[in-house]
Amino acid sequence: MISLAGRDILHSWGKFVFTGIGLGLLIGVTLTMAGVYRGMVDDAQAMLDNSGADLWVVQRNTLGPYAEPSSINDDVDQSIRAMPGVARAANVTYLTMQIGHAGRDVRVMVVGIKAASPGEPGQPPHLVAGRQIVRAHYEAVADVKTGFRLGDVVQVRRNRYKVVGLTSRMVSSGGDPMLFIPLKDAQQAQFLKDSDAIVRQRARTARNPALNPPGNPGMVDAVTASQTSNPYVNAVLVQIKEGFSPDQVAEPIRRWQRLTVYTRAEMEEILVDKLIATSARQIGMFLVILSIVSAAIVAFIIYTLTMGKIREIAVLKLIGTRNRTISFMILQQALGLGLIGFVVGKIAATVWAPIFPKYVLLLSSDSVRGFIAVMVICAIASLLAIRAALRIDPAEAIGG
Amino acid sequence: MADGIRIDNLVKTYGEGETAVHALQGVDMHVGPGEVVGLIGPSGSGKSTLLKCLGAVIEPTSGRMTIGEQTIYDNEWKIPDLRALRRDRIGFIFQSPYLIPFLDVTDNVALLPMLAGVTNAKARAHAVELLTALDVAHRAKAMPSQLSGGEQQRVAIARALVSRPPVILADEPTAPLDGERALAVVKILNDMAARYQTAIIIVTHDEKIIPTFKRLYHIRDGRTHEEGGRVEPAS
Repeated sequence: MISLAGRDILHSWGKFVFTGIGLGLLIGVTLTMAGVYRGMVDDAQAMLDNSGADLWVVQRNTLGPYAEPSSINDDVDQSIRAMPGVARAANVTYLTMQIGHAGRDVRVMVVGIKAASPGEPGQPPHLVAGRQIVRAHYEAVADVKTGFRLGDVVQVRRNRYKVVGLTSRMVSSGGDPMLFIPLKDAQQAQFLKDSDAIVRQRARTARNPALNPPGNPGMVDAVTASQTSNPYVNAVLVQIKEGFSPDQVAEPIRRWQRLTVYTRAEMEEILVDKLIATSARQIGMFLVILSIVSAAIVAFIIYTLTMGKIREIAVLKLIGTRNRTISFMILQQALGLGLIGFVVGKIAATVWAPIFPKYVLLLSSDSVRGFIAVMVICAIASLLAIRAALRIDPAEAIGG
Repeated sequence: MADGIRIDNLVKTYGEGETAVHALQGVDMHVGPGEVVGLIGPSGSGKSTLLKCLGAVIEPTSGRMTIGEQTIYDNEWKIPDLRALRRDRIGFIFQSPYLIPFLDVTDNVALLPMLAGVTNAKARAHAVELLTALDVAHRAKAMPSQLSGGEQQRVAIARALVSRPPVILADEPTAPLDGERALAVVKILNDMAARYQTAIIIVTHDEKIIPTFKRLYHIRDGRTHEEGGRVEPAS
């Protein structure tokens, strides 16, 4: 059977294609918004995957180390290593900060890791260039998204670090690229006060008779040293031995170390359901609004196109064309417009996704869902035009 | 005569009570197969209302209409599917051709059979046959916008004839054409009526073609008066 809609589209292809391109850009934005959300989830999962940890040991009753501040003593890892089922345990610190480099600011998550310990949890699992950190101070491994290159020197707080290795897909749950530095340096950077504050703190300590008692001159030095050092880390990452379940290993740590322990599933829930939940809702709202706008645009366009063919539709009805043929013609046109729009939108989203500063992950499953949604929206949007077409009086084709 | 179209005492009243408008007040008419008759009358005389009733577009108030041997209206519709009636038994030609702008000439003509389930090839072959008979087959692949007014009207005639309907209703089919082309269209309609034994009613104001009708119905104040041969055009 002849396709009236197809013929009309071919005849007025310019109108349909340009309208489809406009609609497609809107669909492209919608797909990109979905991709932004997927990218956030993927960043969070990549961070957990690449940490190499099975358990996250954090300060009691906190959601640390990514969703809340967490502080635990840096000697806890040793006692955790002795717990049953623990294969490896490593201290780690996280600090998100702005780093000036080559005339621009780069937002990074500074990760403190134990130097020269490849394979330990928390270490960058793979390098795309250079080597791992082997010295205890002033070396760094950076994610390629920082824009740093091998041999670059970057400043973190007061100290300067030489980039000795580059890694990839090592980002925070917020999409900030990671910069790995030795643990001791990171601990220092995390709680480092400025020089004036240190001088004032020393003066206050020296004036305090309880901390600087007469006849015990060494005490003030000990107190001052304890004030300027930082014996804390944000978390201990644990790898478990084969044959043990995460819960089996976590339970004794919770009980005996009086710390909070998260399994991989729990940590993913914290990141996805809590940390990025508001962003997800925000994006969801955008998706709903964009869907409504798309539906309104398709409805308006199809309605306008249909109203431009009142005479032809009246003639078709007069000469005996069935209502379902006319309805199907309008529905096909709406779906055709949606198809053009989706193809344009998918291409546009694929082209511009890599330009976005944060990771945009366009999943095939989202594209399929998006395609179905576009078709459903177009079908619903065509109802207004179909209703109008069916109300056209065939007598309009006859004069008088 | 059993074939053609017969109308007996057809009444159409719009509205009720004091505001009622009596558009048709007992129209009688008969057009035999192969016959072409003219229907003339001043504006507001009921021509369009009669055409809409004949075309099963609006329902008369009372009366009787018969196409061939089938009564289609007898104080109520006797046909359940009026759309099918229009598709299979009545052809329409309009003042403007109203060809579907996105279909070429052949598909404009072949559209109805194709929508009715006839294979595309068969419908197109029949369309080309009609276009040949109407001397417009050389424009078979052209789009309507590429045709002259006369060519468009000939394609519209082919479209009206494609289902081989026993009746064709033509609403001022020569209005947009000059004298020579108008007369040519009427000649084509006469030829087609004779060839396919179709009853054709032509509503017209066109003084150029009025003398060509062997029979003429004059409608005034909702009533028809049959006149033979040439009539004096209304001033």
